[in-house]
Amino acid sequence: MKLGGLGLQRLLRIASVLIIVGLITEIISLCWVHPLAFVLFAFVSASLMGLGILVYLASIVFAVPPPPGDRG
Amino acid sequence: MIASSGLLVALIVLTIVLASVFLVRPSITAGVTGKILAFVGLCVLPALCIDAGMSTHMERSEQTKFCISCHAMDNYGKSLYVDDPKYIPAQHFQNHRVPADNACFACHADYTIYGPLKDKIRGVTRIYLQYVSKPPEHITIPGGYNNNQCLHCHNGARSFEENPVHIVIMDTLTSNQLSCISSGCHDTVHNPSEVDHLKMWSAGQ
Repeated sequence: MKLGGLGLQRLLRIASVLIIVGLITEIISLCWVHPLAFVLFAFVSASLMGLGILVYLASIVFAVPPPPGDRG
Repeated sequence: MIASSGLLVALIVLTIVLASVFLVRPSITAGVTGKILAFVGLCVLPALCIDAGMSTHMERSEQTKFCISCHAMDNYGKSLYVDDPKYIPAQHFQNHRVPADNACFACHADYTIYGPLKDKIRGVTRIYLQYVSKPPEHITIPGGYNNNQCLHCHNGARSFEENPVHIVIMDTLTSNQLSCISSGCHDTVHNPSEVDHLKMWSAGQ
């Protein structure tokens, strides 16, 4: 199966955004010793980063490389 | 396992920088070096950040101040300062029989996120009750307090094993048939409803 419409670079950008947002929420959760900080980390940060990793792995497996003119 | 928060923050910042590179210039993955960097920055490092973050949060959740940060736990926290040696948690906390910073976890080591999946789900339910619904008036431990929480320290201790009362009932204690906090034994535990009317101890008084 190939994700023709998306392209490798687009998937990489999506993965990067998910991971960056997940990491920022992880930093916020680390500034706070409270049960809600744990919830923020477990349900938001870890989920976003996990999803980002999956999108990156999907980009390796499924994405169609972009045409040469679309690079950069 | 990365336990130090400083190291973890450094790892997070490094991962953000690397991920930003692929956000701005995803085309660098065209080369072999870019592909390796992408694997490190978008897979290995984020996975490490999740693992290290989870262990840091688990470690923090063992702290006394974490447990008593919920309003429903206020009086349980206060009960550690009751000036009465009959109060088992107070006696342990004030005499440093348990580490003061991890006092709750020392005696509730099988509780919610530290227990099996069923307990973890129960822990999430309690967070829901605290912040979305309403916490119960009386907080109880489902299945009762497990003697193993006492025995993992007291078992093998001379004062415990040579106590004539303990000798007679040792089998029922170790098999959890008779609770250590049964009526007539060590039955004065947190008593959160009474705490506000009791004399309190403060360190250094």
